[in-house]
Amino acid sequence: MARVRIAIRDLSKTFREGPREVPAVSGVSFDVHDREFVAIVGPSGCGKSTILNMIGSLIAPTGGEILVDGARVGARPAPQIGYVFQKDTVFPWRTVERNIALGLEYRGVSRSEVGARVKEAVKLAGLEGFEEAFPATLSGGMRQRVALMRSLVVNPEILLMDEPFGALDTHTKLNLHAELLALWGTRQQTVVFVTHDLSEAITLADRIVVMTRRPGRIKLLYDVKLPRPRDVIGLRESAEYLREYAEIWHALGQEFQERAS
Amino acid sequence: MKAGSGSVWIWRVGILVVFLAAWEYLTGIKAISKTPGLYWIDPFFISRPSAIARRFVYLMSDNVRLPLWRMALSTVQSTLWGFIVGVTTGFAAGLLLGRSDRIARIFDPFIVAFNSLPRIALVPLITMVFGFGLLAKIVLAWSIVFFIVFFNTFQGARSVDADLIHSARFLGAGERQIMRTVVVPSTLAWTFASLTPSISFALIGVVVGEFIGGESGGGLGYLIIQSLGTLNAADMMVALFVLGAIGIVMALGIRQIEVRLLRWRPEYQKR
Repeated sequence: MARVRIAIRDLSKTFREGPREVPAVSGVSFDVHDREFVAIVGPSGCGKSTILNMIGSLIAPTGGEILVDGARVGARPAPQIGYVFQKDTVFPWRTVERNIALGLEYRGVSRSEVGARVKEAVKLAGLEGFEEAFPATLSGGMRQRVALMRSLVVNPEILLMDEPFGALDTHTKLNLHAELLALWGTRQQTVVFVTHDLSEAITLADRIVVMTRRPGRIKLLYDVKLPRPRDVIGLRESAEYLREYAEIWHALGQEFQERAS
Repeated sequence: MKAGSGSVWIWRVGILVVFLAAWEYLTGIKAISKTPGLYWIDPFFISRPSAIARRFVYLMSDNVRLPLWRMALSTVQSTLWGFIVGVTTGFAAGLLLGRSDRIARIFDPFIVAFNSLPRIALVPLITMVFGFGLLAKIVLAWSIVFFIVFFNTFQGARSVDADLIHSARFLGAGERQIMRTVVVPSTLAWTFASLTPSISFALIGVVVGEFIGGESGGGLGYLIIQSLGTLNAADMMVALFVLGAIGIVMALGIRQIEVRLLRWRPEYQKR
């Protein structure tokens, strides 16, 4: 087994809402290995985004610990981490090109190298012809592509993705799944991907962390055995996909049922 | 230009022509000014377009000690200086207080107090301190513009999207880089939105300053007060028309700059 990049140990988080204490995550432990694609799924409010935010230092845990490459996560995100938000975080005042260049500019990469790498990223994302466009003129799918490329262009070893395709229509989503898998296939980052969409998780991930409803605990750690490379559309008709989907759905469904009763 | 703008322009010019013609014609009829309640429709009070045009040509010439164009220049100059200084200091202060809760809390009561003071009440004090010249007018314009820009910038600096800051941090930005690439551009959008009202208010400040400032400060406000003293309605109308023209040109200029700087915003995208 590959080395452990992210180690999560007995992690918990309780939010204060006035006098009330609301437990969001409770006693969660799992490892993410090098170049592994892990998806976290669960009913809404199960704390899956909270876990991701804690890995990314956006929220401090109330209990337990997270180690990224052996170092305890502190107040600032570890430099090897990239993050793609669900919300549109493309800078509206920068063109597509200059958005993608951001991370390189921050790192003081030379102008000529920035130009070359941005050009390559634009090509990879199929955004040719839109280099000079401002985000306001782009569709939601294109903006999310810009956000994705902006994170990938600095080659983060670990990529955290918080429902990055949650706001997109099915068609755009499937295209982006294919693109993400192709990119991941060549760059082999370690990915933690949060989603409420089970089919998305199965399509993309090596392993799925299924959460219970609030307070979120781990219900099931599921290894996806679908072979790679995966065809995001054909995949859904395969018997293996349907079998795995049914297995996880059974576990998730219990959570939904308990909630309803 | 939008389709049908030709007919819109015909209407506009038509209304203007009718208005001026009525003004010229009605002020020529003595009987109207004798009618109770309509006494003011008289060249003595509101002058007439033909008389205003004649005075305009005369005042523009070098036959007068202080030609009209020099007064206009003085007004424009003070307005632009007051505007520029007001915008830069307002922006700097808004950004500083907007990004620092502590400083904002300390200064809050002072700012509220100073801003609630009617600025016109300050004119005599400013005149006492800065004299009757250009500087007093600039200070007055500044004292108004500063607060408009300050409050807008302050709001803008407070409402910078935290997720944009987070994403910059994940891309490797340090605090200074976050300031330069996230906080400042995002705040500037709010600041720019305050530029058009600012230029109008700067002009108000300058004209009020000129009312008091007298001849050494010059300017169109001085011409208005002088005309009041000599009961010269035509000269006063000349000053008002020139002021109006200056106001329009400056507002349009600022609008152009705003569109250019905010071209990334959806509402400024070319359709």
